[in-house]
Amino acid sequence: MTFLGMPLLPSKRRDSDPIPGGQGNIFEDESFAEVSHQHLSNQQLRNNIGHATSTIRDKRSEVVAELDDWEALREAGSRTKNHVMENLPEYLAEFEANFTDQGGIIHWARDADEANAIVTELVEANAPILDSGRREVIKVKSMATEEIGLNEHLETQGVDAFETDLAELIVQLGDDKPSHILVPAIHRNRNEIRDIFEEKMPDAGELTNDPVDLAEAARRHLRHKFLTTKVAVSGANFGIADTGSLGVVESEGNGRMCLTLPETLITVMGIEKLLPSFDDLEVFLQLLPRSSTGERMNPYTSFWTGVTEGDGPQNVHLVILDNGRTRALADEHGRTALNCIRCSACMNVCPVYERTGGHAYGSTYPGPIGAILSPLMTGVEAEENGSLPYASSLCGACYDVCPVKINIPEILVHLRNEDVEANHSPVSSQLDGALTGASWMMSDAKRMTAAESGIPFAHAVTGGDQINSLPGIAGAWTSSRDIPGLPEKSFRQLWAESEGESHGGSDGEEDGKSEGEGDER
Amino acid sequence: MTDTAREEILGRINQALGRRGGGEYVSSSSGTVPAGSPTGGEGHSSAAEAPHAQPGAPAAGGGTVDQSADYFRTGTHEGEELIELLVDRLEDYKANVHRVSGDPAATIAGLIESGSAIVVPRGLDDSWLQDFTGEVSVDAPGQELSVPELDAQAAVVTASAVAIAQTGTIVLDGSPECGRRAITLVPDHHVCVVRVADIVDIVPEGVARLRPSAALTFISGPSATSDIELKRVEGVHGPRTLDVVIVDT
Repeated sequence: MTFLGMPLLPSKRRDSDPIPGGQGNIFEDESFAEVSHQHLSNQQLRNNIGHATSTIRDKRSEVVAELDDWEALREAGSRTKNHVMENLPEYLAEFEANFTDQGGIIHWARDADEANAIVTELVEANAPILDSGRREVIKVKSMATEEIGLNEHLETQGVDAFETDLAELIVQLGDDKPSHILVPAIHRNRNEIRDIFEEKMPDAGELTNDPVDLAEAARRHLRHKFLTTKVAVSGANFGIADTGSLGVVESEGNGRMCLTLPETLITVMGIEKLLPSFDDLEVFLQLLPRSSTGERMNPYTSFWTGVTEGDGPQNVHLVILDNGRTRALADEHGRTALNCIRCSACMNVCPVYERTGGHAYGSTYPGPIGAILSPLMTGVEAEENGSLPYASSLCGACYDVCPVKINIPEILVHLRNEDVEANHSPVSSQLDGALTGASWMMSDAKRMTAAESGIPFAHAVTGGDQINSLPGIAGAWTSSRDIPGLPEKSFRQLWAESEGESHGGSDGEEDGKSEGEGDER
Repeated sequence: MTDTAREEILGRINQALGRRGGGEYVSSSSGTVPAGSPTGGEGHSSAAEAPHAQPGAPAAGGGTVDQSADYFRTGTHEGEELIELLVDRLEDYKANVHRVSGDPAATIAGLIESGSAIVVPRGLDDSWLQDFTGEVSVDAPGQELSVPELDAQAAVVTASAVAIAQTGTIVLDGSPECGRRAITLVPDHHVCVVRVADIVDIVPEGVARLRPSAALTFISGPSATSDIELKRVEGVHGPRTLDVVIVDT
């Protein structure tokens, strides 16, 4: 069969051929600057996200402060992931051999279309057609399957995919998109969630807005699905090369349900998720929970190695996904973005994310990591992904909290440069013209003096008042800021005058000014 | 078709890393193979090809990537202090903790309503249930309880492989006294026995004690979620009650 998006013939690739970018939900289709405006004006959204991110920030700080060796753990995490990327082909082969030896079956997918087609085929082979005429699968929260748009694809193929993570359930029932990789429904508050549940869960009845009640409603709603569905789809937090094991880190037990009870388990994992050795978990099982939910350890973590006889699914598949990851790997200044373990700490500390929310980033991956990962996976020229690296004040908080020390601000600047090279016209812009002019003027004292001779005139025209709007591109600055009124004279003019006066004694006005300055110190 | 995908992805990776031969194919009909690929065309590599043993890899000989890392490999708590730390962390995550010297049978019986039905793994110490009056189903290979049967059990009683004090984490490893994963998942109440000898201080000590190829479940408190306004709520899909019985023998 021919899969969509696959070349008809395995054409011969050369080193010089560009590595193709990814597909699926990793595109910003309107520039970040424009789309963020719509979200900034949503006060409810800003309140919800502000409340949630500040809560999680505090929790993270507390549990990180408990570990005296936190910085050493970050360093070890960073070093391990760098080492994996440098030796990725060997670790993938080692993982594949071990997973396969234990009865697991591996599939490789170059892009989203290919991964979706593989999963669909596996579901069709293993999930029965129900009375409704459709098939069903249960799902554990997985960024990789969000990225490839698996649920939407399955729906068109006659398969209903049920999200079982509480937040993903809220998103799915609300016909919404995740806005955070750890807490996908972070943009919803308890009242909104109650309303969604009452409307979309036929058996829910009347609910309060108490999170305990809402969690109980989700339990009742999903219990039967867990106990009866034949096929589950998951992601993976870790693939362990030296054992062939996969790991899923979770809280609610929906992961355990999906990984344990069905007959068939299909996992989708990016190529970058590998760790060399089982022993490396001693680092990553400390870094991940503390960075993500701010817990010393998340409630449940499961590891499985291929098929475990008599325990759990006996038909175990893994789809190893590229979808733009090799493109990111090819960028030597950006490849450390692949070290990401999807903890979301960078989102929770980001002043931009806190105000715009996750939807403004367009992609499955929002926040600071998304602002680098999406353009790295697709190229800055794809859609409006070139606008994402500007979604930052470069304050560096994301780098400080990153458990694997991804230098996000540095990669943002690198990608801004890529964007300018790739997307901006070689014809001089207004800004280029203005900067060239300023450079010419300021590099010569006579020109500068000539230019400054206009200041008293400009002062008279504006009356020394605050300036509220400027023409041209400078209008972007004044659209949200005022410029202080122009002085009567420039500093250089004042200096020239005071130089002259210093020979002939001091002046009352000058004394007053210097005293005033002294008071401020 | 995925053989082609495999070779192409490995070729792209080699190209991305600037390795010679990346992406060049020597065959296009009988399974394409990237020339110079470290894995060859077999689809399986032997342990000898593992990068741990390659020059340039910091951890030649296996084990963790960098053995000089200066994070802690062992903790500082021991004896009573270690047990108290575990108790504190388990309770912080809303597990109920019970300490017993010697025989835990009476304590276990007191945690489960008498006359109710429970499931246990085949390797559980019989003496632990001698005070319990109710129906005990033993889950064993060839005699597995079905999912609906598990759903009808009031509780499950198991042992554990390791407990990590610093994080309040108990690990089940699928051994005969821990049982297969489903039996500790479907019943709503899990009574888990931790032997003092199995308590370690920090995560690296816990990881070092595990059998990597086993189906492992790390449990830190009962099922919980923080998905609604980041507020932690105990009790979603996994067992909503976790009783931990710490036995000092």
